[in-house]
Amino acid sequence: MRALADLLVGGDGPAARAFENLILALIAVSILSVVLEATTSLPGWAAQLLRISEIVVVAVFSLEYLLRLIVAPRKAAFVFSFYGLVDLLSIAPFFLAGLDARSLRVLRVLRVLRVLKLQRRVLETTVTERTRELAERNRALIDARRQLESELEVARALQIAILPAAFPTRPGCDGAARMIPATTMGGDFYDFIELPDRRIGLVMADVSGKGVPAAFFMAVARTNLRELAMHHAYPSDCLSCANEILCTQNPMDLFVTVFYGVFDPATGELRYANGGHNPPCVRRAEGSIELLDGKGGLVLGAMPAVRYPTHAVTLRQGDRLVLYTDGITEAFNAADEAYGMPRLIAEIQAHGNGAAAGLVERICHSVAGFAGAAPQSDDITLTVLAWHAPP
Amino acid sequence: MNTRFETLGNIILAAPQGRLDFGAAAGFQSELEHALAGAANAPSGLIVDCAGLDYVSSAGLRVFLVVSRAAKRAGTLLALCSLKPAVKDVFDVSGFSELIAVHADRAAALARMKA
Repeated sequence: MRALADLLVGGDGPAARAFENLILALIAVSILSVVLEATTSLPGWAAQLLRISEIVVVAVFSLEYLLRLIVAPRKAAFVFSFYGLVDLLSIAPFFLAGLDARSLRVLRVLRVLRVLKLQRRVLETTVTERTRELAERNRALIDARRQLESELEVARALQIAILPAAFPTRPGCDGAARMIPATTMGGDFYDFIELPDRRIGLVMADVSGKGVPAAFFMAVARTNLRELAMHHAYPSDCLSCANEILCTQNPMDLFVTVFYGVFDPATGELRYANGGHNPPCVRRAEGSIELLDGKGGLVLGAMPAVRYPTHAVTLRQGDRLVLYTDGITEAFNAADEAYGMPRLIAEIQAHGNGAAAGLVERICHSVAGFAGAAPQSDDITLTVLAWHAPP
Repeated sequence: MNTRFETLGNIILAAPQGRLDFGAAAGFQSELEHALAGAANAPSGLIVDCAGLDYVSSAGLRVFLVVSRAAKRAGTLLALCSLKPAVKDVFDVSGFSELIAVHADRAAALARMKA
């Protein structure tokens, strides 16, 4: 009996579901029969049918009541609970007065209250359904976040893979670079391109936007610049050609700021053109600073047919060239102040005498110290070229 | 960041306040696009008064690029005015001040639009 009780009313298996459905169907039948008996005069065979159904209904309800009593951990609590009382009232008149107890027949109307069971069933089903939906949505959210994270990983890997591993070796000069990606992943990149005649192409660039779109645009920009650099001796031609290409391959309306310079280690001459990028600095050997702020043009990818004038500067023995992105000048501290140009210039002036790698480290250290605990909102990218003149 | 909008005849004035960075860019863009496309007839001018704009990132610049294209399609003149020095620097360095008209103040922008 205990096993039967557990099977039919204790658990949540298919048998329990089927038994519950049977009870609900019988509740409907019993209510119908009460209504029919009270409102119409029935032919003999129908009254006989009703009597039989009454016996079946009461038998099953009694069985259910008994089973529920068996599985209830606290019997008294069940008997005096609301549903326990309703269940009892729906069968009690039959046992008290038998089939023909007309005086108690009115009590059978109380069976209608068992309809409340239906409502409870609907509520329970709704709650189960909502819980399942919530769990599903949670899973979908977690999946979406994983997807996003893995896409960001791809973008980050792409951004780092794009960077050159080392500065080309040339007598008389050394170079160093560093890119510290922001947590949200920006679109900075730098490049050293080995050109014909042992010249070196220097790229410092910043793609607008973040994440996967920026990473793709960066890859397209970098590949095109590399390719064009081989065929154009003048930085202005290289940038305007790259701009034309980027304008046609730009469904997301992104753009990239590019400083492009061609450095000749034999003479110290740097020819450059600027597409909307922050002006690099030259630190002269004696410590003075010059900004390479020759007139530039619009960022690349925004509008076709832009012209980028070429300018030239000649490095002298002991000079340093510093290329950077706005992740440095616009690194903010907790008080929302920007690192700014004056701090960068002071750092270059103070520590520009040693090797290129040393100055890169000093500047990164200074920016990190300034920003403190404030989150890094943009990539920090920096290239230093030190020219000692060939022996 | 939030943006106040005013209408002066057929000209819309937008005054963004705060920092236009990656997080604020999408919202600002849809507000400006709505201002361009919201009325039955496209406005003759859209002036973005940047007096309250403290910072513009590259994602913020992109909004101005996208909106300048939308304005051109709609036949609306776009102009900026009252840029703080740090913001003006960003527009000058990036070349955006040659792409979009930049005026010293609101009166100058309005005068140019009505001319």
